[in-house]
Amino acid sequence: MTEPTTQPVAAVVAELLTKRYGSLTAIEDLSFTVAPGEIVGFLGPNGAGKSTTMKILAGTMAGTSGRATIWGESVSLNPAAAKSHLAYMPENNPLPDDLRVEEYLTLRAKLKNVESKNVQARVEKVMIDCDLIRRAKGRLIGQLSKGFRQRVGIADALLAQPKVIILDEPTIGLDPHQILGIRDLIRSLRGQMAVLISSHILHEVEQVCDKVVIINRGRLVAQGKTEDLRRELLPNAVFKLTSNTPLAQLLEICLPIESATKIEIQENLAGGWVRYQITIPTQSAIRENLAAHLIKAGVALREIAEEHYGLEDIFLAATRRTTNDGLKN
Amino acid sequence: MRHFKTLLFHELKLAFHSWNTWATAGLFLTLMGTIYWFALLECSRSPQPWTPVEGTFKLFWLPLLCILPLLTMRSFSEERRAGTLSSLLTTPASIAAIVWAKFLAAWITWVTLWLGFIPFTLLVNLRLGSVNEQRLSDPSVLIGALSFIFMSGLLHVAIGILCSCLTRSSALAALLTFITLLGLTAAGGALESLPIESWTWLGWLREPAAHLRTFGHLQDFAAGVIDSRPLVLYITGNLLCLGLAVLAVEGQE
Repeated sequence: MTEPTTQPVAAVVAELLTKRYGSLTAIEDLSFTVAPGEIVGFLGPNGAGKSTTMKILAGTMAGTSGRATIWGESVSLNPAAAKSHLAYMPENNPLPDDLRVEEYLTLRAKLKNVESKNVQARVEKVMIDCDLIRRAKGRLIGQLSKGFRQRVGIADALLAQPKVIILDEPTIGLDPHQILGIRDLIRSLRGQMAVLISSHILHEVEQVCDKVVIINRGRLVAQGKTEDLRRELLPNAVFKLTSNTPLAQLLEICLPIESATKIEIQENLAGGWVRYQITIPTQSAIRENLAAHLIKAGVALREIAEEHYGLEDIFLAATRRTTNDGLKN
Repeated sequence: MRHFKTLLFHELKLAFHSWNTWATAGLFLTLMGTIYWFALLECSRSPQPWTPVEGTFKLFWLPLLCILPLLTMRSFSEERRAGTLSSLLTTPASIAAIVWAKFLAAWITWVTLWLGFIPFTLLVNLRLGSVNEQRLSDPSVLIGALSFIFMSGLLHVAIGILCSCLTRSSALAALLTFITLLGLTAAGGALESLPIESWTWLGWLREPAAHLRTFGHLQDFAAGVIDSRPLVLYITGNLLCLGLAVLAVEGQE
């Protein structure tokens, strides 16, 4: 395996990647990076261009323009060197049905330049890591369940201890127990290898990834840490509170402290209680001690809680923004 | 080179563990045994200008057209259909190594099938050892004819591999191989039977015809005549087909 003398700043670089099929543009001017040892979620609606981007990065598809590098090696100019640092598990994880698991992994280890004397040890290790050793080691791949096939795909990706792993929908079709196992496995790779993972299960990505890259209609719409994206894409904090104080009085209390406050009635409850939604800017000073202000002003509170924005909300806000921009254009 | 060796051993293992290969081998040996049986019968009825082995090999086009496409049809088309070729291409193994490994494995299988014909002749010699017919046990014809099969196989198997690269359907790959091999064999035979020498306007065809006379090559080899022209044809044809196969795989992925 080619060992570069220094560790590159970015393990994966996609720079202005574009792929066109005739008049159809699958991805356009897509740029992002993955740092060494970082786990990055690659998100987008169906048909956004995720698999196309991953195929270009893996060197199984040529881009129309742009530059892709893996561990500092150009995917198009030096494919062998780039591939020696990379493992790629495609979306449907194609495997030869007529080989046994151990046999297949041994072949892949040899093809991935694992030293002959280490092949057996590496195969054993990944089979243990992916929980294949007891129930699947000697079985034909064609007879394995979907979950075990996915594990074989991930075991294959880990075989040569690559610097970069690209996993296209690794948990698709798995049951919750299997998803949990694979999530833990991916999490254990943090710091050891750069992982680019696409998934439709946003909760899973949020749990595992250090950073997310969101694309829509082939274009980059957002990238960064979840917290940063939350601030960027969702500038308002939303509180749900239940009180018997009238709306006008609440506005009188809140507006002097934060002029951008918006209060809406959500639901009228029994006994004169009302459920309100209060929206204030995330950066506002009142956000941290809204409950204290209200109590101090004599507002009777039965319940107050800040809504938690998950990756799903960030994803929807980011993709909606670009879709609206596209419609306007 | 390391990947080529790994891939070659893998392909050979797959080939000799596959029911498809064994079914094809059964079909081949049944076909060749039957042809040899009839050739022996013909020779026993009346004297013939050819030996039973020569008579059998004259029909080499039958297994070439019916058996060889079965051996090569799955090599790339099946991998493309299942998606395992894309997965293979993510490894540092080069496309040329993959193509050459698949070709060599198929060629070795083809050669092994033909070597399976030798026991028929040994059995006949054993059974008819008392018959005073020197030509029956003459191994030179067999060696010469097999050499032709092995040499021409370089081109024929490469054609099969190229056809398999062009489609995801194994059946279509087999059909393409059949048509191409039929065209190649028939073209040689047809050109041989034409009175080109007397047609001055077809004079330019003389050279290509001399190169493509497949049946003539068989006769030459069986008679122990080694002409460099067929060797060049089969080797360059092989390189051309495999080069095109590499480009086809590169283009499709």
